[in-house]
This record gives sequence, C-alpha cells and structure tokens, in this order.
Amino acid sequence: MISVPNRRSAVPGGIAAALAVAGLAAALPWLGVSSYGQTLVYYAAYYLALGQAWNLMSGMTGYVSFAHGAFAGIGAYAVVIALNGDWRMLPALFAAAVAAVLASLVIGATSLRLRGIAFTFATLFFQELTLLILRKLPFTGGPGGLVLQQILPTWLPYVMMIALAAAATIAVAMLRRSRLGLRILALKGDEAAAVALGIDATRIKLALFCASAAIAGLAGAAHGLFAASLYPDVVFSVDISLVALAVPMIGGVATAIGPVVGAVLYVGIRELLQVVAPQLHLTIVGLLLLLVMLFLREGIAPAVAGSIRRRVRGAAVPSPAPEGSR
Amino acid sequence: MSITLLFQLLVNGLVVGGLLSLVALGLVLIFGVMRVVNFAHGEFITLGAYATYLLVSQTGLSPLIGVPVAFALGALVGWVVQVAVIAQVTSRPELDMLMVTYALSIIGLGLFAQGFGGDFRSYAAGPSGSVSLAGVMIGWRSLTVLLFSVAMGGATLLLVQRARIGLALRALALNRDAAASCGINVVSGERVAFCLGVGIAAAAGSLISLIGTTTPTVGHEWVLDGFVVVVLGGMGSIGGALAAALAIGLVQSFTSFALDDSWAKIITYLLLYATLLLRPHGLLGRRGAEA
Repeated sequence: MISVPNRRSAVPGGIAAALAVAGLAAALPWLGVSSYGQTLVYYAAYYLALGQAWNLMSGMTGYVSFAHGAFAGIGAYAVVIALNGDWRMLPALFAAAVAAVLASLVIGATSLRLRGIAFTFATLFFQELTLLILRKLPFTGGPGGLVLQQILPTWLPYVMMIALAAAATIAVAMLRRSRLGLRILALKGDEAAAVALGIDATRIKLALFCASAAIAGLAGAAHGLFAASLYPDVVFSVDISLVALAVPMIGGVATAIGPVVGAVLYVGIRELLQVVAPQLHLTIVGLLLLLVMLFLREGIAPAVAGSIRRRVRGAAVPSPAPEGSR
Repeated sequence: MSITLLFQLLVNGLVVGGLLSLVALGLVLIFGVMRVVNFAHGEFITLGAYATYLLVSQTGLSPLIGVPVAFALGALVGWVVQVAVIAQVTSRPELDMLMVTYALSIIGLGLFAQGFGGDFRSYAAGPSGSVSLAGVMIGWRSLTVLLFSVAMGGATLLLVQRARIGLALRALALNRDAAASCGINVVSGERVAFCLGVGIAAAAGSLISLIGTTTPTVGHEWVLDGFVVVVLGGMGSIGGALAAALAIGLVQSFTSFALDDSWAKIITYLLLYATLLLRPHGLLGRRGAEA
C-alpha cells in the first residue's frame, strides 16, 4: 500500500531537476514569453504550492483538510493589511505565515487529539467561519474587501510563487525520504500501532499541520500580491480548498511529483473549460477525482511510474540490465 | 420580549429544527450503517428542491406532491450511486471514502450550476397565507413543513426502532461483523440505509423549496448545519441528532432575531468547535464513537 522509499540517491537528482525547472519558470518574464503563458505558469505554481501544502498534512497523514483555502485567504489578508500599514515586504510575508499558523492551531488544538473525521469536520467549517468573521471585522474592509495600496512589479509575486512551489515540492520530497517521513507514513498506515511503537502522533500531526498552513498562507499571500485586490467571497471561495485537495489526490498523494502532475492537469482543464463550459469545471474535476479514486487510487503519477517500471523490468527479465545503467 | 414574539421565534426555530433533523437523520443513518460521511448529502437536498420546483412550475401540481416524488427520485439516484460508486470503496480507508463522496458532491454542484445558473427559483403554488394561533402568526407553508418534518421523522424512527429492517440496520451500526455472522445481509443493509438516507434528504429539499428559494448551493448550505447537528448529537446517535437539530434551530432563530443571520451561523460553528473540544463524543453519543 505505502511504498517505502529505497533509492536515496534519487533525491539530489530530483532536487536538481526541480531547481532547474523552477529557475527556468522564474526566468520566463525575461525570456520574452507572452503574458498569457506566464499566467498559466503562475497558476500552475500557485496550485502546486497549495497542493503541496495539503499534501504535507493530509496526503502524508490521511487527515483530510478542507481548510487550506481558508489558510490561503488569511495569508492574503494578512500580507495586504501589513503592507497597507507600511510594513516592509519580508515582515509582511512573515506575518502572513504566522497568521495562517495561528489559524491552524485553532483547528489543531480542538481536533487533532481526535481521529480523522473530527479533524475533517473542524476544517470543513473553518473556511465559512473565517469568511463570516472577516466580514464583521473593522480592519478587513468588510464585504467590500481590501485593495493593496502600493504598486508592485508584476514579476515579484510571480517569482515568489514559483520559489514557494519549488521549495514546498523539495520539502515534501526530502520529508518523504527521511526518518520522520517514515514515522508519518506509519501513522497513516495504522495510528494505534504507530503510537504503540512510541511515535508521538499528536505532536507530529500538529507540527505538520502548522507547516502545511504556513505554506498555504504564503501561497495565499503571494496570490494576494498578484491579485492586489481582495474580495472576501472570492478569496474564501470553496474552489481554493478544492484545488488544494484535488491537485495532490489526482496527481498522486504523499509523493513529491504527484502534485506537480496534478497542478499542470488542473490548469489545463481550467483553461479548456473556461472557453467551453465554465460552470462545468467543478463537475469535471469531481469526475476526475472520482475516477482516480476508483481506478488509480495512488494517483496518476505513481500509476504511470509503476507501469513504466513494470515494462522496464519485464523487458529486462531475459537479459538483466547492466549495473548502474539508471 | 413579549410572549407572542417568544412563541413566534420558537415556531421559526422548530421549523428550521425540523428540517435540520431530517437532514441529520439521513446523515446518521448512512454514517451509522456504512461508516461513510456523505459529503454529497447536500446535493441530494438540492436535487429534491429542483425536482419539486420543476414539477410545480412545469405541471402545475401541488408542491406537496413534490415531497414523495422527491423522496422516490432521491432514493432511486441514491441506489444508482450506492451500487455504482459507494459500494466499490466501502472496504477502503476513510480517506478514500471521504474523497469519493466529496467528488460526488462537487460533480453535483457543477451540474446544478450548469443546468440552472445562479438564479433564485421559487413558486407561488401550494399553501399560502397564514394562520393565527393565540396571537402567533404562523405561515401555512411553515406549518406544512413542520408537520411533514414531524411525520417523516416519526415514520423513519418507527422504521428503525420497530421494523425488522430497522433491527438489521441497528445491528449493522452496532457491530458489523457480528451482524454479518448472524445472517444479516450487509450489502443490502447498506443499500437500504443509503437509499433511505438520501431519499429523506431529497424530501427535505422539497420542503426547503417550499419555504425558501432554490439555488445550486441550497443543499450545500443546509448540509453544513446538518454536519454540526451530527457532531453535536454524537456521530451515529439518532436521538442525539434530533435533540441537537432542535437546539440548533432554536439557537439560530433567536440569534437571527437578536443579532443577524451571520451571527447565527458564527454561533452555530463555534458550538461545533466547543463540542469537539469539550465533548468530542457529542451530547448524547457513545464515548469512542467519535473515532
């Protein structure tokens, strides 16, 4: 069920590849790529960052979160409020991460000692609750929203988002291969047994959830800078939580590469449907999620990798592949 | 606060509470027997609401006929969904089942949004006007909804507590393996629970279309409160769910009057967090049932 990593050497290569792709993507504005192309890359990075944030918590532990859209929204509000209050960029981004982590602690403290479903319920209402409260608060602009006062260069949120997506992907890859990662996967496999082995389940889950919320908060912050005006109903629309969950579930949960595949697919689907049937976007993503759950439950990336591996191995049976050919 | 106003708010709370208890009853049946949290429950509510709207606006029939029609339609669609999708994943980990019902939910949301647009739909046919009981004005529509809720809730309780099939469902909820070894057919028990649960949801949706407007997200909004009720009442406890539904209905009615609708929602959700923190097994649920 859970494939235990055995090829440690794959990590540095993977990290180098991730850095190269991220560097290339970040350089697009200076390579004469159209702004439409840049927007597509930007959204892929945004969805990837959200997806990896969700993957870090829910993918690794099996505790399903519907609150990641709320964390992103809180991050967006925090960064815009801080910048409008004449904070510098770095402290403002830090504030966004901290605000999202504090929000995750509210959910974590009430529900992470409990088993999965209580946690899911606690996250399910959080987005709605945040939206309702934000509309009431004096400094959030109420239902009308907020506008970022200063004008930032467009490349800044773009590069920020790509750096964040790359960092989150690398973090998941490294965690997946670490001792801690093994402990977390043991928790997912059988929490009672893992606890009996001396794994501090609640602490690990809480730490992961906070880290996951921080990434989602930063992704939301970068997107807040990109959008520059925040409308509460858009910032806290259910769509964002859906993206965070669908991207890793479709691509391949608890892997580093899965959300990359998921994010690219998601952007592709969104663009295609934008023209044909914008309302059907939910239905198509839902169908894809359903088909993956029914037939490719590990997700697309692991399924493809598995079938390639089987084919390679099948071909290698008559004449074993030479050592170190990989 | 005058006594008339108090009764007025009480009646409003009972109407909301009655509808919520129908929504929660379906959720509890499905969760109790199948151990599946049905995230698609709200879309069955919406299905019932649109079915009634279409029936009334296309054929001119009374919306009261829409209630049994919605129930039948919900049960039929529920049967198809259960056989084709849910039954395939019942032996899988919780994460998979959550994802599957969630996927069904967003498939439904998208279909309703595509099919009906964002318009608010309502109809004029059916009961109208109001009746005065000791100075308290009660709309006929509200009264109808209340009566239907009580009748349907009572019928379901009778079925679960007295009928043979109810005995089988309760046995499955209590201990699945023991029930199976006593010769209870697990597969058909699950099928009955799911059909009944979503049938009740669709019937509730039909009643909701009578007192409110129908939008693609109407069921989604109701089911969120339904989930609060289920957690408050203790996952899987029917009595707890009914008590919690009435409590939430009354809390919302009085908060809406004293403050506004947003505060009513905020307080409802805060109650959920308080329950998770203080009594995770719910008000009347069994300890250990929260897992």
